[in-house]
Amino acid sequence: MKKISSKVGGLKNLMFIGALLVLGLILLLDIYLVDKILAPLEYFYLFFAILVIFYGLYPLYVNRRLTKYYWERTKRHRLAVFGLSFIAFLIAVAIIGPFLTQDPTKVNFEEKNLPPLGFSIQQSVYDLKTGEFVTRETPGTWKHLLGTDDKGRDMLAMLVSGARVSLQVGLLATFIAILIGTIMGVLSAYLGGWADMGLMRFTDIMMTFPFFLLLVFIIFIFGPSLAFIILAIGLTGWTGTARLVRSEALSLRTREFIMASKSLGASDARIIFRHLIPNVLSSIIVIATLSIPAVILAEAALSFIGLGDPTVTSWGVVLHAGQRTLDIAWWVAVEPGIMLFLTVLAFNFLGDGIRDAFDPRSQL
Amino acid sequence: MNNTVLEVKHLKTYFFTRSGVVKAVDGISFGLRKGESLCLVGESGCGKTATALSILRLIDSPPGRIIGGEILYHGEDLLRCSSERLRQIRGNRIAMIFQDPQTSLNPVFTIGDQVAEQIKLHLRLKHKPAMERALYLMEQVGIPQARERMKDYPHQFSGGMKQRVMIAAALSCEPEILIADEPTTALDTTIKAQILDIFRDLKQERNMSILFITHDLGTVAGIADRIIVMYGGRVAEAGTALDIFDQPKHPYTHGLFNCLPNISAGRNRLTPIPGMIPSLIDPPEGCIFNPRCEHRMPICSEERPKEVVLSGEHFVACHLYS
Repeated sequence: MKKISSKVGGLKNLMFIGALLVLGLILLLDIYLVDKILAPLEYFYLFFAILVIFYGLYPLYVNRRLTKYYWERTKRHRLAVFGLSFIAFLIAVAIIGPFLTQDPTKVNFEEKNLPPLGFSIQQSVYDLKTGEFVTRETPGTWKHLLGTDDKGRDMLAMLVSGARVSLQVGLLATFIAILIGTIMGVLSAYLGGWADMGLMRFTDIMMTFPFFLLLVFIIFIFGPSLAFIILAIGLTGWTGTARLVRSEALSLRTREFIMASKSLGASDARIIFRHLIPNVLSSIIVIATLSIPAVILAEAALSFIGLGDPTVTSWGVVLHAGQRTLDIAWWVAVEPGIMLFLTVLAFNFLGDGIRDAFDPRSQL
Repeated sequence: MNNTVLEVKHLKTYFFTRSGVVKAVDGISFGLRKGESLCLVGESGCGKTATALSILRLIDSPPGRIIGGEILYHGEDLLRCSSERLRQIRGNRIAMIFQDPQTSLNPVFTIGDQVAEQIKLHLRLKHKPAMERALYLMEQVGIPQARERMKDYPHQFSGGMKQRVMIAAALSCEPEILIADEPTTALDTTIKAQILDIFRDLKQERNMSILFITHDLGTVAGIADRIIVMYGGRVAEAGTALDIFDQPKHPYTHGLFNCLPNISAGRNRLTPIPGMIPSLIDPPEGCIFNPRCEHRMPICSEERPKEVVLSGEHFVACHLYS
């Protein structure tokens, strides 16, 4: 055990590999023996969760002194704390919420267009006894705290489901984008010369592409499934990261410790992974936090114009449905709008807070 | 001579910049023997560092390129060996220490990790024994409470301590040759003396060959066996420390000595060398030092001086002696 763990560089890495193996085993079982243990996206999601636990939360726990230091600095940003709490709340809702709420896809026309609790509206309802339409006062009910839409689906359940979708899209697409961007940026800066030219011109070309049009195009070709939407956003959204990482890595490359480690016989890969990437990591974390809301909005926008995955209930889909009934049931559009607004704001605040906390020059 | 471990022959390193070709190293030759310390002395920009970096092929390319010459390590030409082989030699057989200890360490890893990195790489040790060896090395170079301090990060170390760490890292694989590029320039005087002591011990105890690069003749005096005075990418004068200190011949060497404060000589003004170091893009014709030389003759601006052997190993490139 000890031998193996020292080979991969510590117990942490060993456990990480173990967790990945377990995940792979489930995947194999899924493919060959049992059907549908998890949806494809959930594998992706679990992989991401494992990554975050081992390389995000675990180091934070081990280096408690540093964690405390960053927390102290982040805490001074009140809005960042709000952002963090809201995101934590959102993550909790996304994970356990769907088990507690009603089925977000259950249609019930008898309870359609119910306003949120505490509101009431006049609407014409088909009366079963008389067989006529009558205008009747419909108040909000405890059963549907946030009301229902024009098909009688529970708004709360839909919002909770939307939180899950939004976070999935936001985290996974950002992860893909950051991964590509970091590799491109670091390679470009480290290799220099023609490789740098080539990679950066490619980045320029990617940037000049109308991003949204490209998304629409990809989805048109491959179909509106959530996995493709995530991939499409991830594969197009890395350009900014690549630029930022390149500029940071360029200034790092000329620092003496890179030269020193080269003079002591380190290989290129070692220099990139041990010396360049760890030193740009704080910027990467900041840009990742700030790009999550952009990705969430992009997914919402796609869903809003009807290019979202029709099988999932995302905030954009609900928003899209809500605009048709804006004249009678305003809450259907407003509620997901508020959620989007708060989520985007929370991530932005948190990103700002983290940036200041990570920057040793900023006087907080 | 057979105990030569490193031989540099007609090394030419040019930098191809937008404003022209900088001939940073223009045909330099020297040999480094086992257990010997050789000092390269000269002003900033005379090609000392470029020479040192060329030996390990660390010149940034572009813009730099080694365009000619040979660097023979035990007869093996480092300029022509594979990058794989070069990586085995770097750090393992030939190690290098840089000028500024403040930036020579990676800020995001602990000191112990960084010293152990080389050890794991070259000696193929596991984490634990590598850390043990790192600890031993750090004690060797005089870092107090090394066991605790290994867990510290570079920003918690002072400049002198960081330079010790760099030396410890460079020594990790017991290299045969240590190239020290102005290792004491960024340090204050007392620390400088301590660091020089470490170098002296290394040379004596481990019979290590040291290529010491500095602009400071005062530093050289304490450590050098032989001295090479460089000017404008070429060798101006070379000889044993005694030759250079007792009988400096080249006007440039004289000039360097006149810049040194000397209490016993009773001088109270220092005499600087007039003028500026010439542009190496468009160097003066003939002897590169001629525009600043007080003994200038007509031939100096026409013909590049040949190296004149004065005695034994003492030679000088100056028309005054030909």
